[in-house]
Amino acid sequence: MSWRSALGRVEGYGASKEGVGHWWTQRLTSVALIVLGCWFLVALLALPGLDYATVAAWVRGGWTAPILILFVGVAAWHSQLGVRVVIEDYVHDVGTRTLALALACFAHVLLAALGAFAVLRVAFGSAA
Amino acid sequence: MAQLASPKDSRVNPHGRVHRAAAAAAGLRTLRIYRFDPESPESPRLDTFELDAKSCPMVLDALILVKATLDSTLTFRRSCREGICGSCAMNINGLNRLACTTAMADLKGEIRIYPLPHMPVIKDLVTDLTQFYAQYASVEPWLKTRTPTPPDRERLQSKEDQERIDRPAACILCACCSTGCPSYWWNSERFLGPAALLAAYRWIVDTRDEDTGERLDQLEDSFRLYRCHTIMNCTDVCPKDLNPAKAIAEVKKMLASRRY
Repeated sequence: MSWRSALGRVEGYGASKEGVGHWWTQRLTSVALIVLGCWFLVALLALPGLDYATVAAWVRGGWTAPILILFVGVAAWHSQLGVRVVIEDYVHDVGTRTLALALACFAHVLLAALGAFAVLRVAFGSAA
Repeated sequence: MAQLASPKDSRVNPHGRVHRAAAAAAGLRTLRIYRFDPESPESPRLDTFELDAKSCPMVLDALILVKATLDSTLTFRRSCREGICGSCAMNINGLNRLACTTAMADLKGEIRIYPLPHMPVIKDLVTDLTQFYAQYASVEPWLKTRTPTPPDRERLQSKEDQERIDRPAACILCACCSTGCPSYWWNSERFLGPAALLAAYRWIVDTRDEDTGERLDQLEDSFRLYRCHTIMNCTDVCPKDLNPAKAIAEVKKMLASRRY
């Protein structure tokens, strides 16, 4: 039971002056994902086949690998921003929320690193 | 974590008391109304009232008839009975609305009446709106200026300027929007909710106000403002046909444009 006034509770610690960056980045990454996603689909459909050798040859050629790494990075970034919102929405215990936000952040960085590594491995690895 | 089920004591017993009509009548309607008495150890229940509603054009008329003739303990707020005070906001057939402007004829079959969702219930259909009003107060809904008032006239405003605040200023604070918003359900302690944000917008776009930057500062918060995920239930249920979702989107645009 607290005697703090209703207005005092609503004011809390004040405004964090944060949120607009997250909101803007979420929109920016979603627009980038539309472009990159379309490029990825069109490029794959334009290939003569979808077997490993054909796709690996495509990854090795031209600008494919850097753009693929960009795609993986932006997708992980966008996903991290979205998962953060879901955690903030539903996890109310401060300790659990902080832990969940940190784990989500680490998991997305790991996913992005693994994705980039996979692309590089195909691009520079052996044919098999 | 978010609480997905109601606490045991809050679960509604669907088999409450039944008040059957004495005789069949052409205008017979069935109302199923949420009942909760804080002084009783009983869990909340749904009572059934059958009544001849031909003299009740609106849901509020039916509630008043129930209270006058069937159960005088039924508790609900009402005042103006013409959609301007916002007192009789409640959840009718799954939508937040004003009982006084909801026509019985527009509701088919049985009518289910609950208090505004996700608010502490004081008794029956009366909810505790203390936090909702505090959120409204927190946006400081009054004119703030540094320029002194002209000594010989009021502060001037063009017709176009007035039109910008015309609609947002028509909010009656009935709480239909905020209590219909899932984001508000999950984070009502930190998210200001559509009603308070619409009020904030009303003063931000008021050309007579000189505190716009400070008002935007107070809203720039990942919970206060950015819990709005554009679900748009607020706009959907507003009994005054206002658009809090658009007002919130405009505030987000203003914050982005001053940053980038």
